[in-house]
Amino acid sequence: MQGTHVRVMLAGNPNSGKTTVFNGLTGGHAHVANYPGATVEKRSGHYLHRDTTFHVTDLPGTYGLTSYSPEEAVARDELLHGAPDVVVVVVDATTVRRSLVFLAQVLESGANAVLCLNMADEARRAGQRLDVRKMEELLGIPVVETVARVPKSLETLREAIASAAERPAGPSRVVMGPRQEKAVAEVLGLLSKALATRPSRWDAVQILLDDPAAVAELKSSTPHAERTLAAAALARRSLERATGQEADLAMTEALYGFVDGLLRETTVADTRRDARAVSDAVDVVVAHPVLGFPLFLVAMYAVFWVTFRLGEYPMEWLDAAVGAAKSALAAAWPETAAPVLRSMVLDGAIAGVGGVIVFVPNIALLFLGLSFLEDSGYMARGAFLLDRFMHRFGLHGKSFIPMVTGLGCSIPGIMGTRILENERDRITTMLVLPLMSCGARLPIWMLLIPAFFPPPWRAAMLWIVYFFGAFLALGLALLLRRTLFRGEDAPFVMELPPYRLPTLAGAAHKVWERSWLYLRKAGTVILGISILLWAATTWPKPDTYKVDRLIAERKISLSSDQAERMRAAEGLEYSAAGRIGRAIAPVLSPLGFDWKLSSALVGAFAAKEVFVSQMGIVYALGEGEADRERLQEKIRRDYPVSTGIALILFLLIATPCMATFAVTKRESGRLSIALLQFFGLTVVGYLVAALARLIVWSVT
Amino acid sequence: MGSALTPALEDYLETIYSVLQQVPVVRVRDIANARRVRAASVTPAMQRLAGLGLIRYERREYISLTTNGEAAARRIFSRHQLLTRFFSEVLGMSEKHAEEDACAMEHSLSAEGMDRLTRFFEFLQTCPHADPIFLARMHGCPVFSASGVCDRRCGGKARALATVSLADIPAGESAQVERVDASGAIRRRLLDMGFLPGVEVRVERRALSGDPLWLRMHGFQVSLRKAEAAAVRVIQANGAPQTDGVSDKKAS
Repeated sequence: MQGTHVRVMLAGNPNSGKTTVFNGLTGGHAHVANYPGATVEKRSGHYLHRDTTFHVTDLPGTYGLTSYSPEEAVARDELLHGAPDVVVVVVDATTVRRSLVFLAQVLESGANAVLCLNMADEARRAGQRLDVRKMEELLGIPVVETVARVPKSLETLREAIASAAERPAGPSRVVMGPRQEKAVAEVLGLLSKALATRPSRWDAVQILLDDPAAVAELKSSTPHAERTLAAAALARRSLERATGQEADLAMTEALYGFVDGLLRETTVADTRRDARAVSDAVDVVVAHPVLGFPLFLVAMYAVFWVTFRLGEYPMEWLDAAVGAAKSALAAAWPETAAPVLRSMVLDGAIAGVGGVIVFVPNIALLFLGLSFLEDSGYMARGAFLLDRFMHRFGLHGKSFIPMVTGLGCSIPGIMGTRILENERDRITTMLVLPLMSCGARLPIWMLLIPAFFPPPWRAAMLWIVYFFGAFLALGLALLLRRTLFRGEDAPFVMELPPYRLPTLAGAAHKVWERSWLYLRKAGTVILGISILLWAATTWPKPDTYKVDRLIAERKISLSSDQAERMRAAEGLEYSAAGRIGRAIAPVLSPLGFDWKLSSALVGAFAAKEVFVSQMGIVYALGEGEADRERLQEKIRRDYPVSTGIALILFLLIATPCMATFAVTKRESGRLSIALLQFFGLTVVGYLVAALARLIVWSVT
Repeated sequence: MGSALTPALEDYLETIYSVLQQVPVVRVRDIANARRVRAASVTPAMQRLAGLGLIRYERREYISLTTNGEAAARRIFSRHQLLTRFFSEVLGMSEKHAEEDACAMEHSLSAEGMDRLTRFFEFLQTCPHADPIFLARMHGCPVFSASGVCDRRCGGKARALATVSLADIPAGESAQVERVDASGAIRRRLLDMGFLPGVEVRVERRALSGDPLWLRMHGFQVSLRKAEAAAVRVIQANGAPQTDGVSDKKAS
């Protein structure tokens, strides 16, 4: 390879330590984006080695070079069509046999590969010793042993990548059985004739096995595909006749045969001491079908506690810092100088920034917790225990974790859906997650439940709200999987890696990456909407206030504080938000909502808890304890219980907040998903609330 | 004919051999009893066998096999045995019919045909991939057993007879993969993961209500839902406990 830029791709099974290798190679400076048209994340970075820049892409973990899940399809397409200069196949040296089958597939694809035997220390401790030189010789590619957690051990990998980049890929030295070889050669010949480009042996294998993606590709690249496919089918049948096996089985067995042969030649020592003995002993209790549950709940509680209780402190500090910045700026900026801009900066932008960064501690701590769960291997155990329950609703065992997190806040919850490898699982979980009653909604329940229910009912009502939300989330997930996201489940083939000690560096990478991503991508949207909503609740301002006129005419006498609140209430009514509230009030009238509730709901889009303060403004009340009770009295007076229940349900289900909207858009990579979530939940909330009101109204 | 062994003579030689397996000496009367013929019709055959140098035979004396005779008899006997077993064990015929057909067939097969058949049978008995998985598969296959028409290219229901689903293996027990009865994504994924014929899988544990399964395979552990595990057909490693195990207990 000439030139100073080399494209490197990291491929391998999940749990092979690929990401650790990536972080080690690039120093953790990853650029994270989504692959076009997919929810699959693309992590890329680069490093400098001997005046050459190596651009590294971390491909999604996959078990094979086929295309049956979006993640595998991305990895396959990148490897086969992304024209990498070097492909580093990262292999967990402790499960070397299965991983080498993947390597064999990569070699068959004609890639210029480097084999990285990761976790070499663990394999050695298990008593396995491989002759790396001999492996290099047999495979015809560089082979290095690494311990990715130790950055120094990656230097040999850098050397190997550099040396591989300097020469073209040799022919694949993978040898299958004579019958398989004959069939592959036959199809390879057919493809060479049909195609303009030179096909790889893997292309031939895929056509031989009638792989849908490969067939579609062939059809799109040559008009004579049908003839080629018919001839390939003949080759397939004769292979099946000759081996007495289905063709895919015959090919897979041949690959395993090649790997077994390779391992026989290169294994210097394999004392077969079970390196997992400790891990297995722990699993007897931790993964126990019954005993495992309390432990799982403890783990969940720990994550929840770390995320939200521990997160409270930095949140307060940030809040205080934003407040201090605001007052400092307010003091420095005279009220007379550009008053509109001043108000926008102070009440819009700074409040908006506060609204953005207030989530950062939660997100950082959640990902700290999640990365410990994931890196230690516990996550797979939790998913194993919970899968049966969650699968009933079309979700994955792991979906439980982001949903529990959603009880704290939907934002980290939605970001936490990242632990789900399967796109459909992720999107479904993301869509229903706002139904988990988040912490921001608690003040709403604290306001509304005492307003509508006598004391003995209150605690029970709160529980009902939480459970109703959770079960509606599960029900809707099931509905989504039966309708929009229908289709065969992705195979639940989840590896259960041995327990490993998570590294602080790995956790730190993840925490930093997620927090930064949130700030950069979702933060900007949240900030934008905050300013927009600020404008909507502020503008236009009435020229004169009724209160002032009444005071001037001495019809009423008010303290300046009361007058200010009345002005605020009038201002809100006059503002765009108030007008929107009035405009949508007829639509919401089946729920029993008037313009006041509607206006407050517009504010709730900014953040759920804003509903409470908006109600205060609408009723011209302050935020003190006494005012709160008076507010509850007024609400009780103005609205019947049926409306109250409709209101609670509507706030629980409908209109997820703007931060949820922004994060959903960012995490799904698609605006349509965020819009579906917003409008879907709003429609469901509307219908459920209307129905509940009708029922309560007819009963009472 | 001359020096050649006729089918009838072969039968006699075989009879002598098999009687000698049970009693130390053999007389014309014993042979007549075994073959349910009169002693008078045995005597000429004995004279002809003696003439061929296969047995030592004097009137009213015990009959014994010469070295050549013993070799020929053993060959004929084992051929008979082999054919009988082939018909009953491989092709699944009843003992009686297997015996009759073996008798009829053993004399008319050419040396090469017999040799090939012998080797085939030996292969079936010794190759770990052929027996009994292969036979179980064959007997379950509609092409062999009943309709004569294959209802699916592979992995048809008919084949499921001799195997059980991995989903039905209780926790703590092991089984050997026989095949993967699935198509598309799941099949490819399972094959890639190494669910190949002959691979040993242990069901380590199951989650509450039995789903999903926690499997231990060569060098790694993996979790499968029952729905996916059902596609993996296995043969339980412990063989057939209902026959061996029970008789052992009865004996003790």
